[in-house]
Amino acid sequence: MTASVAVHFPLLSLLLWLPLGGTLLCLLFRHSGNLCRWASLLTTVAVLCLSLWMAFQSLGGNGWLFYEDAAWIEPFGIRYMLGMDGISLLLVLLTALLQVAAILISWQQKEHPAFFYALILVMETGIIGVFLALDLVMFYLFWELMLIPMFFLIGVWGHENRVYAAVKFFFFTLAGSLCLLLAIISLYLIHGGQTGEYTFALEALRQTVLTPGTEMILYVGFMLAFIVKVPLFPFHTWLPDAHTEAPPAGSVDLAGLLLKTGVYGMIRFAFPLFPGAAERSLPLLAVLSLVGIFYAAWVAYAQTDLKRVIAYSSVAHLGFVILGLAAWNQLAWEGSLLLMINHGITTGALFVMIAMISDRAGTRELEHLGGLWSVFPNLSAFFLLFCLASLGLPGLANFSGEILVLFGTFKAQPLWGGLAVAGVVFSAAYMLRVVQSSLWGESKVLQRSDDLGPREWLILIPLALLVVLLGVYPAPVLDFLREPVSLLLATGGMP
Amino acid sequence: MSFAELHALLPQLILALGATAVLMLGAWWPSRSCWILSGVGLAFAAAISAGLLVPSVAEIGGMFSTAPYARFFTILWSLLVGLTLLLSLRYAETHRFAGAEYTSLVLFAGAGMSLLSAASSLVGLFLGLEAFTLVLYVLIAFNRGDTIGAEAGLKYLVMGAVATGFLAFGIALIYTSSGSFHLPEAMHGLQQGDHMRPLGLAGWAMLLVAIGFKVSLVQFHLWTPDVYQGAPAPVTGLLATGSKGAVFASLIPLFAAMGALAGELNSVLAVLATLSMVGGTLAALPQRNLKRMLAYSSVVHMGYLLLGLMSGGADGQRAVVFYIIVYGIATLGAFGVVTSFSRADGEPQDYETFHGLGYRHPRRCIALSAFLLSLAGIPPMAGFFGKFGIFHAALKSDHQVLALVGILTALVSLYYYLRPIIVLFMQERPAHELRRGWIHEFVVLAVCFSLVLLLGIYPGPLLELIGQVLPQP
Repeated sequence: MTASVAVHFPLLSLLLWLPLGGTLLCLLFRHSGNLCRWASLLTTVAVLCLSLWMAFQSLGGNGWLFYEDAAWIEPFGIRYMLGMDGISLLLVLLTALLQVAAILISWQQKEHPAFFYALILVMETGIIGVFLALDLVMFYLFWELMLIPMFFLIGVWGHENRVYAAVKFFFFTLAGSLCLLLAIISLYLIHGGQTGEYTFALEALRQTVLTPGTEMILYVGFMLAFIVKVPLFPFHTWLPDAHTEAPPAGSVDLAGLLLKTGVYGMIRFAFPLFPGAAERSLPLLAVLSLVGIFYAAWVAYAQTDLKRVIAYSSVAHLGFVILGLAAWNQLAWEGSLLLMINHGITTGALFVMIAMISDRAGTRELEHLGGLWSVFPNLSAFFLLFCLASLGLPGLANFSGEILVLFGTFKAQPLWGGLAVAGVVFSAAYMLRVVQSSLWGESKVLQRSDDLGPREWLILIPLALLVVLLGVYPAPVLDFLREPVSLLLATGGMP
Repeated sequence: MSFAELHALLPQLILALGATAVLMLGAWWPSRSCWILSGVGLAFAAAISAGLLVPSVAEIGGMFSTAPYARFFTILWSLLVGLTLLLSLRYAETHRFAGAEYTSLVLFAGAGMSLLSAASSLVGLFLGLEAFTLVLYVLIAFNRGDTIGAEAGLKYLVMGAVATGFLAFGIALIYTSSGSFHLPEAMHGLQQGDHMRPLGLAGWAMLLVAIGFKVSLVQFHLWTPDVYQGAPAPVTGLLATGSKGAVFASLIPLFAAMGALAGELNSVLAVLATLSMVGGTLAALPQRNLKRMLAYSSVVHMGYLLLGLMSGGADGQRAVVFYIIVYGIATLGAFGVVTSFSRADGEPQDYETFHGLGYRHPRRCIALSAFLLSLAGIPPMAGFFGKFGIFHAALKSDHQVLALVGILTALVSLYYYLRPIIVLFMQERPAHELRRGWIHEFVVLAVCFSLVLLLGIYPGPLLELIGQVLPQP
């Protein structure tokens, strides 16, 4: 457990609490929307720069790239324990990037801007905390911390049916979380009873000796929380509602980041803590993810709301991710994690673009759109790029992840792999329908506004570059993933 | 009573004699804010004296303990009384309360609560409990001319009198079976095989009924919503936090003294806890009135506390004390917000009056949301670690089923805690302005708000302090 980069300054803490500092600034300047805007933008940019700098610092590093450990709530044995390996690093980078996009896309937020930006920044702290925490209670705290801002983002700034969607989101995720909490406490007590050392540290809890029955129960408790968040079929019903009602920034965060926390929880906590139970559950996970891939594609095809199509496509993509995890080998896991990053970027970009489209067209209904290409050629070109990436066109982001997942799955279970290939075809169907009915055909949209403005170019260019780059040359990302993934697979473990 | 005993009793004396002095002097010089503020001073003086003076005797009059545990709660209830008075300043002004009477009653209530928490004999328990219950009869109906308040006072009086009857009779039966009022000895007659045991058990059953009334466990909770609704908001805050917390504080040594008997009572307690958690939750769901919702939610919280109490052990006791504190802070804060919004013609309680208020009064509404989320046990609010401790203790003592019930009710309870928050922030209807708050109210709310956040992020020191003051087995 040595930090390969000997930095004494608590960089992880800085990274974690920086957004919360931005929140305070926003609340301080709450009477001036402009100040809040800039404060939050600068905060997110600072987080992005810091995480990029940390990534360059740790190029080629092994084990925990950064690590912090301090006493926190001693009566319960809860420690302030943060660690960053390659997987966390990539997900933190993704978070930092998408949060900048989220702030920029909601630049013209008119209703209560201070609270809006403050909540987005609180959520950033929550998400980064989830990706860094190594103490189970700390992880749980951040896990829940993501919930409240999202609830308010949907409930206050959402569309017509927002309260329903917000409450549904809160209930689904909290139901899962409470199972997680019970399981965490039970595991802690069992471990404490065995060793006399009461601790919530992941590293220590992995040594707990469990009977297969108990292991399965606790594993199910953990997985319920994660599966709801991912969301895996049949626990996905909150997602389309939440997406439809959420403001643009909320959708970007939801699809790009919140869903990833569920997968991250599985590979960091559920699988390593309960390897035996995890292994027994793999077939079920695979079946659920395969059903999810087809079901989500089928439902997505029937949607008329652009946001709902993309929401269901997220369910399908996350199905691929889980399928890769269920294949349980190096190739598939690297593919899953890569796909997760890619999906975060493409789907995040798609939601950004949907916001731009509905700003201009005044609707997200597919039947009222059409002919966008003739009116907004630049915007449409970007949209086409992201749609093609989302359906898995070779050379663009999602493809590189999907193909690795498929290879890995074929290696483990050819049948699963075969079925999943068919799923790729399905996803092509609904994405092409989106492209066809929104970009081409008779223009139904009045040219009331201009094509992309400078702010929008600024958001889209980096995302588009990343989509191409990750599709053509994903090697740097895979380099970060290789070592942690092999460790997780080999020892179920930690550096 | 020796000088040493009087010296040990000083904090309670400050409260009680101070209350008497305020009452008498108030007749000569009727100034509302002056007396309330001096009440605040007296309460804080009592808290400081309880914290600084080290008692030289272990027990006062064979009835009240002077152990660190009792001192801890004396400080807590004195502070609570002080904050309640501070909070009431404007409320008393707009409702034209008789300042001196109000102050002295609240101070008396504080003395009663601290005596109850310090009780080391069944007589002490009775005295403490009755001291503040009697005061509350008056305080609940303090709003002259308010019929709902009068109804609430009467309801509490009738129910309370019945409970007192049960309590006295239960204590008498326990005394008959064991021959002692004093706590560990009073349990001696209840050992297995003792021929007086049935009598003692009957006594315990009656005692439980009385306690059930006082802390409003389900089946004995029917007075709660009406009294909560009818009483003046600051008084409801005092009733919800102090009186219930003090009863639970007194139960911890009581249960610790029971030994094996506690295990046998567990089946009864389990039923009470389950009923309270489930019944309170179901009853709270349809409420559209903040005070009534909080009344039913308090029933649920009492169920959680009972679960912690049953779990026993150092962990269970620590969890109960911590829960009492965080529940108290959030509840006081919530009623504080209601107090600060109230006008001479009534308190805003119905959710209709809260529509879109979050943007008119952002500070108070954010605070109210934080208090409600804390009651729901959502991190990073203090309530999370309260619930965490309770479930931790329950699982540790093999109450898995009850812990599961607790978790499920916590999930469902979220619905009724979110409802007012939704109304505050997610409804479009333009809100009329309610009362601007006074600085005194903001001070109390700021204290509660920062404590709710602080204890939710860094509860370690308080937990350690509680671990140190708990009665040693």
